[in-house]
Amino acid sequence: MKNKKQIAIAIGAMCALLTTAIVIQLNTIKAATTIVGSTYAEQSLKDEVLKWKENYEALYRNLEEEEGNLEKARQEVTQENGRGTELEENLATLNKLLGLTELTGKGVIVTLSDNKSTTISELSPAIDMNDLIIHDDNLIYTVNELFNAGAEAISINGQRIISTTAITCKGTVISVNGVKLNSPFVINAIGNPESLFALDRNGGELEYIRNTGALAEVKKSDNVTVEKYTGTLSPKYIQNAE
Amino acid sequence: MDKRKISINKSKIAVSITIGIMSFMMIYVMLIQINLVNYDKRGEVEFLRETELKELLANYKEKYNETEQQLIDTKAKIEEYKREDKSEEDAVALLAEEVKQANMLLGNTKVKGEGIVITMENNIRYDERESSIIKSADIISLINELKLAGAEAISVNNERIVAKSDVFDVGNFVCINGQRTSSPYEIKAIGDRKHLEAALTIKEGFIDTYTNNDYIINIESYEEITIDKYEGEMTLNYAKNNINTKK
Repeated sequence: MKNKKQIAIAIGAMCALLTTAIVIQLNTIKAATTIVGSTYAEQSLKDEVLKWKENYEALYRNLEEEEGNLEKARQEVTQENGRGTELEENLATLNKLLGLTELTGKGVIVTLSDNKSTTISELSPAIDMNDLIIHDDNLIYTVNELFNAGAEAISINGQRIISTTAITCKGTVISVNGVKLNSPFVINAIGNPESLFALDRNGGELEYIRNTGALAEVKKSDNVTVEKYTGTLSPKYIQNAE
Repeated sequence: MDKRKISINKSKIAVSITIGIMSFMMIYVMLIQINLVNYDKRGEVEFLRETELKELLANYKEKYNETEQQLIDTKAKIEEYKREDKSEEDAVALLAEEVKQANMLLGNTKVKGEGIVITMENNIRYDERESSIIKSADIISLINELKLAGAEAISVNNERIVAKSDVFDVGNFVCINGQRTSSPYEIKAIGDRKHLEAALTIKEGFIDTYTNNDYIINIESYEEITIDKYEGEMTLNYAKNNINTKK
């Protein structure tokens, strides 16, 4: 009898201990969430970010509308004038080249992604975790090869590559045109599908990426969409010297 | 004997109940944990840290201001086109001006402005060493750094860098826009010259890294430099405007 009482007491004590631990755990989680998520200062900062995001998006829609109006105004003045019509068409082509319109056409879709399927236990000490993810250089070289193969327009996860586009990496975050992007990186490229598809060749960047352990694939498509550049083109330092 | 049996049963029941309660608690905690993970997926700003939030905020403010400026310019252009006393020649001249501006942004015109000139040279003393030869990767990296620092026009040995420029190795030469060139490399960039210079010369920045590679590298800052236009053709044979998108 005495023995059983002892067992019962022991189990009781263990239960009490467990419960206490659980309660502490719960409280810690709550506290942690509060610190990360909702201190007053951060909450108001978040609100402000969202507010400015909305402001910017609303203003950008406004700008798009006005650009439509500008095009109409141009057409109205130039429709009766031969030289004017020619210039108008010229400008439309230049705007396409500048990346100010969304384009479609034949081309390829390249997908580069971090290799998440390999678990740590499968890794031999010789493999660097860094090799399994896509880096800014992988994107830069892939874009370079696509242009070399005759690509007419390229976007990465919706970010159009224009003449001032920088592809950078800060920590593990990749930015294109100053916008943060995550794996998988989908590169849409318009151009001759056969020449662009040749990207997947011996000694090419895609092979290099696969050899390091990250993932890379390319497929041809008759209908590739390359989004327009969503920033503003407002040079402050260059002037025509002609 | 009977009494003893009953007490055994009693303690068995007690154990079962205890274990039951423990299981229940464990499941409860697991559910809460799962909810927390789901919560994590809410809104893009929900779990960012303060520094990231500040960065994002500055980013949106900058975009807002740029868009605002662009909007003012666009409205002014519309006004110009719609002015009643405007003659047809005026309108055409205005259009020609817009075409010129677009060509400048594309790299189809010679441009000038304040900027920096970087010269990079293979180090002859170490010519046998692979690392002392400047490769396309070094030039690509430099171009990217300059763009990040806000360069508005860039050329490498007078080859203008445009959106579709490519840079490749061909032996010890480097091919830019399909044109073969070699060391010494002169890279020109127009933009805020203090900013451009600072971006390259910060600790562990481009200059630091590449001087360690034995290249001979030098930066000069100028009030005005000129950059040649792109000599290639810009044509679109495959790409068409997407008519499905709203204007």
